Amino acid sequence: MNRIEVKNLRFSYRRGEEILKGMDLTFDSESTAIIGQNGAGKTTFVKLLKGLLKPTEGDIFIKGKNTTEVTVAKLAKEIGMVFQNPNDQIFKSKVIDEVMFGPLNIGQGMEEAKGNSLKALELMELSDKVDENPYDLSLSERKLITIASILAMDTDIVIFDEPTISQDYFGKIRIKNIVKELAARGKLVITIAHDMDFVAEISERVIVLNKGEVILDGSAEEVFLRDDILKSAYLEQPNITQLCKRLGYDRTFLALKEFLDYRLAEN
Amino acid sequence: MKKIIVENLKYRYPLSENLALKGISFEVEGGEFIGIIGRNLAGKSTLCQALVGLVPHFYKGAYSGNVEISGMNVLENNISELSKKIGIVFQNPFTQITAAKLTVYEEIAFGLENMGIEIKETIRRIEYVLHLLDLEKYKDRNPFELSGGQMQRLAIASIIAMKPEIIVLDEPTSQLDPQGSEEVFKAIQSLSREGITIMMVEQKIEKIAQYADRVMLMSDGEVVDFDVPQKIFLRDDLLNYGVQAPVFTRVCRSLNIKNKNTGLYPVTLDEAYELMVRHEQNRS
Amino acid sequence: MAKTLSLYVERNTFIHRVDSINKILYVLVSVAIPLILPYKFVAVLLILISISFLLLAKVMRRVIPLIEFSVIILLSIVIIQGLFHAGNKTVAFHIARITFYKEGLSYAFTLSMRVINILLAFAILVLTTKPSELIEALVKKGLSPRFGYVLSSALQIIPQMMSAVGSIMDAQRSRGLETEGNLAVRIRAFFPLIGPVVMGSLIETRERAMALEVRAFNSREKKTFLNERQNLRSDNVIRLILFSILSLSIVLRVLL
Ligand SMILES: Nc1ncnc2c1ncn2[C@@H]1O[C@H](COP(=O)(O)OP(=O)(O)OP(=O)(O)O)[C@@H](O)[C@H]1O
Ligand SMILES: Nc1ncnc2c1ncn2[C@@H]1O[C@H](COP(=O)(O)OP(=O)(O)OP(=O)(O)O)[C@@H](O)[C@H]1O
Ligand SMILES: [Mg+2]
Ligand SMILES: [Mg+2]
Repeated sequence: MNRIEVKNLRFSYRRGEEILKGMDLTFDSESTAIIGQNGAGKTTFVKLLKGLLKPTEGDIFIKGKNTTEVTVAKLAKEIGMVFQNPNDQIFKSKVIDEVMFGPLNIGQGMEEAKGNSLKALELMELSDKVDENPYDLSLSERKLITIASILAMDTDIVIFDEPTISQDYFGKIRIKNIVKELAARGKLVITIAHDMDFVAEISERVIVLNKGEVILDGSAEEVFLRDDILKSAYLEQPNITQLCKRLGYDRTFLALKEFLDYRLAEN
Repeated sequence: MKKIIVENLKYRYPLSENLALKGISFEVEGGEFIGIIGRNLAGKSTLCQALVGLVPHFYKGAYSGNVEISGMNVLENNISELSKKIGIVFQNPFTQITAAKLTVYEEIAFGLENMGIEIKETIRRIEYVLHLLDLEKYKDRNPFELSGGQMQRLAIASIIAMKPEIIVLDEPTSQLDPQGSEEVFKAIQSLSREGITIMMVEQKIEKIAQYADRVMLMSDGEVVDFDVPQKIFLRDDLLNYGVQAPVFTRVCRSLNIKNKNTGLYPVTLDEAYELMVRHEQNRS
Repeated sequence: MAKTLSLYVERNTFIHRVDSINKILYVLVSVAIPLILPYKFVAVLLILISISFLLLAKVMRRVIPLIEFSVIILLSIVIIQGLFHAGNKTVAFHIARITFYKEGLSYAFTLSMRVINILLAFAILVLTTKPSELIEALVKKGLSPRFGYVLSSALQIIPQMMSAVGSIMDAQRSRGLETEGNLAVRIRAFFPLIGPVVMGSLIETRERAMALEVRAFNSREKKTFLNERQNLRSDNVIRLILFSILSLSIVLRVLL
């Protein structure tokens, strides 16, 4: 079972300034989004899950393993993470080498790694950039490379830290499909995003993090219904939800199609 | 007065085979808020770099055409001189940090010191932008120890503080929380009302529809269309350019609710709401 | 992104308040004197003086890793000179069947003292001076800002490399490269770092240069300084003392 357990997690970068203030959460095979204001602690939290940071207090279990007891490299077989800033993740001077790095390290053979990497790049529509230097590519392409690098590892747990930065309409659709497909294949997917329309479309579960604490945790409908709490956490409802609310509908519509179908049935 | 004049601008990156900009021409008036949209790799960032002189002074390669910023020819002036007239917020805020300073406060001061702004005024402006971008709490923090969104706020603050006549922003809210983006758009809008010219690249279509005076649609190194938001988002072929019309436009389009006076679909929440309410009233 | 690109340690001490030009002069003087007066005790004395300053500035703890690092280099100097110095005649001692010579060891000692001396003098400069303050001081003396920035970056090169190493290592272990564990593991993890760190630093330098340019760094305007440092009377006194000591050592050299 793909499972993450977080018990009384506390964390500070420096003494006297607690960033995460006691979190208790369980994740199973599902697609979860984490939303929250800038500086809420989202990136810090997923870096802790990944083992890159260690809890100041409390424990994190990734498929039963405590992150303080195994090395980050060992954990990498189970959990992959796309960094928020591609500059922090990319370090090779050829796209294909960058993508193959992970698969080769977690025990895939040369052929298998190459196959998986090319497949992941194709999924990101980067097949014609295989031999390029990532530093000559635009930010949106660099972000896609970091996603391909993690997909090629085919880990059971996948974390995306703001995957849609700079993506156009097609890029967002591509990422949306990937998240959905991973979840459908029984993977545990966690996505951090500021784009509420996107969040509403990809997640079964939404967690609102505010100043280091979980203030809401539920299905997308449940969470996006709570306009008051969202506002206090510097968030907002998806665009279509806002419009429908103003029009006086009681229901929380999360997608345009949902609303149009409802109106059609209504008339 | 024309603040930006671009004439037949062509540019190719070194080692690259294709032109990134294929003969672009347009003009922008002082105080206009221009939104730039288009699919990935359309050349939006390259155009931004060309406006501030990074192309061709920093990025070499093949360059032709003419860019004039507030009467200054980009080819004839160096980037630092241009930067006093035209500021740029980079797409990746991480690359905007100078690393010459150890605190957020000093990082914002850096540009002002270089421009020779007197200290009192410098302090006044720093306090103002710290407040504007909600960074007061972090003023003594090392810029590299900020979250992604906080770093993006710092990048915007550092440029606004320099008070250039023109500000180019390359997806300045891509990592901001929803209310933070809204605040930034509002702040930028009020700057433009004060007469500062804004060129902003964005993927947040609903925001561009609400705030931009005119929208430039780019594709494959060319300007496809340059018009008011209502006209741009009316286009049937938008999706071909990697852009989806605002959800408000799409709702009204599906329900065939138009603005009677202009014959155009609404592009903002407020307008869509009003038209839909009126539509309901007319029906009953 | 734990990038703290500076070795500067914020403390409120007298040493921190000393004018950065004086700190540069101090470095120059402490490098020059052992060359002018090539006696072992002179170098040792200077080292002791620098250590006292570092203690006064409350930054000695930050120097220890620097010294540890240089010990490796110094040890190799001692061994090489002890064995192979050109003037080796007098046998000092044997280890196993290998003979060390007095002349070589003595030479190595002098050399080591000089290296440590330079290192400590630089440590005072780097650990107690804000990079921006150093640039400012130099620019006010009429140097071009570009040169000031290059000099200050050169002094920051170690923390810059360290932070690059940190973030690249995070990227690598995140994707399964073992970097934690015993010495053998860590040595093995060292090699895949070299390429990316060098390339990353080059790219970063380029990006920083862009960041500077769009903030009017090379503008012709006369700069202002936010935290303009008021000149203290002690500045001149210190300068005078430094020059006197330098002159004195030259006089001594001529007389002796
Ligand atoms: N290396 C660091 N050292 C000290 N403080 C840090 C460091 N990195 C982040 N912080 C602080 O910790 C808090 C949480 O940061 P984190 O990056 O987790 O936020 P986030 O929720 O991901 O925000 P964003 O939406 O802006 O990415 C912020 O206030 C930030 O300033
Ligand atoms: N430094 C570079 N060297 C070579 N080619 C580049 C460089 N930067 C961008 N390009 C190329 O120039 C073209 C335009 O890129 P640009 O970054 O301007 O697009 P964009 O519209 O800003 O895209 P995005 O939405 O991804 O930010 C692309 O084909 C891109 O690959
Ligand atoms: Mg984050
Ligand atoms: Mg771009």
